[in-house]
Amino acid sequence: MENNPETNKPSAPPAAPNGCGAGQGSLPGRCGALAFPFVAMQENNPVRFSRMEALQTGTLFPGLDLPFKAAIQAKTQLKNTALVELMALDFAIDELGLYLVTHSQDQEALQLYWSYIKLAQEGRQKYQELYGPLLQTDLTPEDGYAWLKDPWPWDEGGNA
Amino acid sequence: MFVYEKKLQYPVKIKNINPKLASIIISQYGGPDGELGASLRYLSQRYSMPYPELKALLTDIGTEELGHLEMIGTIVHQLTRNLNEDQIRAGGFEPYFVDHTTGVYPTAASGSPWNAAGMAVKGDLIADLTEDLAAEQKARVTYDNILRLSDDPDVNDAIKFLRAREIVHFQRFGEGLRLAKDRMNEKNVYLVNPSFDQ
Ligand SMILES: [Fe+2]
Repeated sequence: MENNPETNKPSAPPAAPNGCGAGQGSLPGRCGALAFPFVAMQENNPVRFSRMEALQTGTLFPGLDLPFKAAIQAKTQLKNTALVELMALDFAIDELGLYLVTHSQDQEALQLYWSYIKLAQEGRQKYQELYGPLLQTDLTPEDGYAWLKDPWPWDEGGNA
Repeated sequence: MFVYEKKLQYPVKIKNINPKLASIIISQYGGPDGELGASLRYLSQRYSMPYPELKALLTDIGTEELGHLEMIGTIVHQLTRNLNEDQIRAGGFEPYFVDHTTGVYPTAASGSPWNAAGMAVKGDLIADLTEDLAAEQKARVTYDNILRLSDDPDVNDAIKFLRAREIVHFQRFGEGLRLAKDRMNEKNVYLVNPSFDQ
């Protein structure tokens, strides 16, 4: 930047040919800050998998499904048990929750979030009737101290 | 506070034991880019974050990483269950076995125990979130390497899930940085950052 000989202060930076200021570089579309990491924002109301496909893929969003090797990426068919159904609902809630942290104005995603929460409450009840409490506060007086019930999640057969 | 929920985030059902593979996968339990470091990195960095989106990202992703730690521990445990003497001696499992038997211990596959030097908390949102972007990529590569080394479909199924999560986390940390930038000094994002520089 050249100094103005009369004031000895830097003169206003000339606009770059792309119209971006001195501290900016071009992005496809508009200018971005220099010396700052850049990741594109995911668009609002993005395309989504079903909740079961989301659990099998590891993300709710096809746009973020970037597999390692297509050949070994064949999706496993998870058995549709009460536990897997609950896992799919809880996963969709976690995944949408993370999305909403950076997209809190997306009304469609918010609606879906509420509907999954409601379904997960039902799924939780269904699971617990079959397999016992998920939280210590889910214990009921009829079953004694059912928290001790085997198997635990890491045991063989612990994931129905 | 934290409350334990008695289930995994994703099913882990390993049919065949494979102690050699367990001694590789243990790296995602206690290695430099593993899930223990990930959870502690995010759950520790969150205290100095100035904006609610960043507090939420670090809390929620840090919590999810604890769930991943449990999945990795489960994989290691199931790969080493009910071993007989020959299986203990097979395929390079002895160095792990002599120190930890078939317990699950936070160590890198290459031998060094878990160390906080593998993570960073700088107390500066740009530095910390940029570290987190790199951390997610390093974890993604470790999962790629596990997929390169493993031919057990039951293991790979859970590993692919964990790998996919790193990509989503990378995206969200990147978005967090962009949202934060809109609230920082427009002319120079480094000019006013921690509160004591104001
Ligand atoms: Fe992660």
